[in-house]
Order: sequence, then structure tokens, then C-alpha cells
Amino acid sequence: MSVRMDGRQKRITDAGLTLWFGLAILFLFAPLAISMIYSFNLGVVGKQTSNFTGWTLEWYPAAWNDLALRRSVQTSLYVAFWAALIALGMGASLGYALVRHPSPQVRKWLSGLTYILLIVPEVVIGVSLLLFYAVTGIPLGAATLIAGITPAAIAVTALIVRARALTLDPKLEEAAADLGSTRLKTLWFIVLPQLLPAILAGGLMSYAFCFDNLVVAAFLTTPTVNTLPVYLYGSLQYGPAPSVYAAATVVFLFTVTLLGLAALCFQLSRSSGRARSGGG
Amino acid sequence: MTSANQPARAVAVPTGGGHAGTKRAPSARVSDHLFAVIPTAWLAVFFLAPLTFTVVYSFGHSLFGAVELGFTLKNYQTALSGFYLSTFLRTVQFAITASALCLAVAFPVAYFIARKAGRFRTLALVLILIPYFSSFLVRVMSWQILLARGGVFEVVLNFLHLHDGPLDLLDTKTAVFIGMVYAYLPIAIVPLFVVLDRIPGPLLEASRDLGASRFQTFWAVTLPMARPGIATAVLLTAVPMLGEMVIPKLLGGSRGVLMGQAISSQYLQSQNYALGSAMAVLVLVAVAVVVAALARLTKGFAEVSA
Repeated sequence: MSVRMDGRQKRITDAGLTLWFGLAILFLFAPLAISMIYSFNLGVVGKQTSNFTGWTLEWYPAAWNDLALRRSVQTSLYVAFWAALIALGMGASLGYALVRHPSPQVRKWLSGLTYILLIVPEVVIGVSLLLFYAVTGIPLGAATLIAGITPAAIAVTALIVRARALTLDPKLEEAAADLGSTRLKTLWFIVLPQLLPAILAGGLMSYAFCFDNLVVAAFLTTPTVNTLPVYLYGSLQYGPAPSVYAAATVVFLFTVTLLGLAALCFQLSRSSGRARSGGG
Repeated sequence: MTSANQPARAVAVPTGGGHAGTKRAPSARVSDHLFAVIPTAWLAVFFLAPLTFTVVYSFGHSLFGAVELGFTLKNYQTALSGFYLSTFLRTVQFAITASALCLAVAFPVAYFIARKAGRFRTLALVLILIPYFSSFLVRVMSWQILLARGGVFEVVLNFLHLHDGPLDLLDTKTAVFIGMVYAYLPIAIVPLFVVLDRIPGPLLEASRDLGASRFQTFWAVTLPMARPGIATAVLLTAVPMLGEMVIPKLLGGSRGVLMGQAISSQYLQSQNYALGSAMAVLVLVAVAVVVAALARLTKGFAEVSA
């Protein structure tokens, strides 16, 4: 009797969990769907409205022809590209050091630093950088923005690379050394290829992350360096046009493609790691 | 975890090239240090130095648009009185409540993905993360559309007979909580998934075999084992919520100003860098308290990147 009751209880729990998961997905996707649907909204006198006033395709060409919007997308692409490249290099280096630095004390310090990067709220980083650049007299520009948004991206990349570096088999490096390879050659031919999928995944994540950065960028923006999120944020004051939803939709589809690549890289890195550790 | 590697490498005897052995040891040390030194140097300049400036300036005397360095606690007095104090307390209260709500929503989702989704778990995780990669600002703007009077949310609730008549959610506390839970849900699900995924199935079966009920097993086995993940989830949601400035501005209207907006307006509008710095330091102190409390409550944090 208790077994049958137990089975019913389990079915109810499972159904509840499935329903909860479905509702969560709905909750997460509703705004995304709305932003896409409302990129086809007619709106009223060129402004977005919360009532759907009719279908139109005009906002896609309008977004393309909006020079300020287009320039902000270009700035975002440029800023995100360089920031991701820096985060990729620095993050890979930090991630490897987190696992392989000879001193446990240094590893502990580095790991503390990595977590601090993730837990300082963005608004604090933003105002601190603004203050820092103002006091040191460094003029704001694309470079200062790129440098400013790298720390959190470096931390994310480092953690992804670290997870992969933990699965590295030190015997391979020893074997290379035994066969007369220099340390640099070992790093280049043995370590780097194994870490590469994780490094690329980290770089792509950083790219998506930096492209969408609003809070830090809002403090470091200048009239000539205006990223897409900052431009949208500014447009909120006088009511955004549906064309910004069109631009966001296009950017999202582009980002998801990149994300797909990142996921693929990470999947490859994980499955090859699992296969090897399973074999040894 | 890596201590075993180091002696082995040092002992390795070169069998190939003749003079390589003398060169290898020092070059290994140099490259190992470079991996640590280069990112640390970069972060020292673009992360640690700016934060230090903020701490130093928070003790300075404020002039309009400039700060005279010195040591005064006046900025902290201002930041901890009247309007600023109530903003700070409201922010802490919002962050704790929203983080708890987020955890409550995230836990069953993570449990479902880790234990029930079977071969669809990767797909389920990807689904959770996809919206996270579209423009954050545009998604919050879409919540404005959803929550507006006569908007989709109102129509759906009326249709389900959960509510009758118009619903004025926009520019309320509730809207801010919805927005906060929404924005941080994926970040809460991932660490919870990681720990729940690691609990060995046989352990739960053993608990059941020994006579524990479903609820007892959950309470005495699953939950304690999930503690590091819970700590990480709270950390990764409560901390950014303490500095959140976009969601309260877009969904909360003008009444519920939080620390993020207050700090930002000290810098961008009032030009009172000293007071803004003191408020930023207060946020950092709140962050440190959250971290310390979580570290004490649980045995440790789960690795976020599994």
C-alpha cells in the first residue's frame, strides 16, 4: 500500500516540477518574445507603445538607416572585440596560473582575486573607473572603456579555462620534457591545444558579455564613444522607437550564433576531457 | 589537487638533448610566474587601483566636481543619515528579498534539470541561458510593455481569472521584484544545478531504503549537500542586486530609488564624488557582509564553472 501511495506522490512531485520548469521557461522567454514581436509594432508617431497597434516591417530598414544607432552598434562591436581579445589572453593566462602556479599561496591569492572580480557590483566599478581616469588625467575614449570592461570578462574566462586546466594530465608535459622539449615548446604544442576550446569559449562568452555591458559603459561613455546599450539607455528619456527593438533582435540572433559556437567549443573540450580521463 | 604534479616535473630527467636540462628549470619558473603576473598587473591597474581611489576619496572633503584629499567621516555621516540611509536600507532589504525569491524560483528548476530532465538536460540548460544573451536593457524595456496597464500580463491574469480588472504593476515594488528575479534567475539556476547534479543517486536511494520519507530525504540529504550551491546562488544574485540601477529605474518609477541610482547620480548629476565614493564603499561593505555571512552559514561555495 505504501509503495502505491509513494508512486502517486512521486508522480505528483514530478508533474509539479515539470510544470514549474515550463513556467520558468515561459517567464524567461516572454520578454524576449515581446521584444521581437514589438520590433514589428507600428507604434504611435514613431515611438514604441505598450499596445500593439499593427504589423509593419518598416523598423528594420529604419534601424539600418539610423546613423546614430548604426554607429553605436559599430562601437559596441569594436569595443566588445578588443575587450574579448584581452579577456581571452589574460583570462587564459590567469586560468592556467590558478591551477598550475608552483606556489599554493599564490594560487590562493589568484583565486581570491578572481572571485572578487565577480562580486564587486558593476556600478561601483563604473564610478571607480570614472574617478580613476579623471584623477590620473587619462582622457576617456574607446581604449579606456575597453580596459574598464575587461576585469569581469577576465574572471569568467579564467574560470572556464581553469575548469579545463584541472583535467590536464601532467604526464603529457613530463613526457614532452623528457623528450627534450623546452617549457615554451611544451606550452605551445602540448598545453595550448588542450586548453584551446575552453579559451575560445571564454573569449566568445566575454564578447557577448562585453557587447551588452551597460552599467560600466554608462559611466565611461563620451559623445564619440557611445555603445548600443548606452545609446538605448539614453533614448529611454524621450521614448524609444520600435527600431531599437529591431536592432536588438538582429544583434540577438548574431549573438546566439556566437553562443552556439561557444557551446560547441565547450562541449568538445568537455567531451574530449572526459574521454581521456575515462581512458586513463 | 596539483601538488602531486610539481615534484614529478622537477624530478624528470632529460634523456634527449644534452644541455637542455640546465636551461629548463629557470625558464619554467619564469613562464609560470608570467602567467600569474601579467593578468595581475592588468587587474591592479584597471580594477584594484580604481577601487582604492574610491576608498581614499570617500574620506576626502567634497568640493563641487572635485575632492580635496584628507580624512573626514563627514561623507559617511551624510551617507548614513536621512534620505541616503533609507535608500541604503531599502537596497539591502530589496537585495535580500529578491535574492530569496530568486532562490525559491530557481531551486525547483535546477532540481528538475539535474534529476528529472534526463537526456534533455543540456537542452534545458541552454534554454535557461539563451535569453541571458539578448540585450538586457531591451528585455527590461519589454517588461515595461508586459506590465503596463492593459498589457499582456494583465490580459493573461484576467483570462485565468487570477485577477479582475486593470492591473497597475508598473512603477511598483512588485514590478522591481519581478524584474530582479527575472534578470538573475539564470545565474541562480546554474550553481544550484551543479551541486544537485553532483549528489550521487545511490545516496538518495540508500536514504529511502533506510526508511526516510521523500521529504525527509530532501531535508536531511539533498538540502545539506546543496548548501555550497545555495551559497553561490545567493552570492551571485544578492551582490549585483545591491548595485542594480537599471531595473529599479525602469520598473520601479521614481519612488523606489536604490543605491545603484543614488551612487550614479552623485557622480553624473550632483558631481559630489566624495559622497558618491562613500556610498560605493558602503555597498562594498554590504557585499563583504553578505560574503562573510554566506561563508559562515555554509561550508563553502560551489565552483560556478563546472
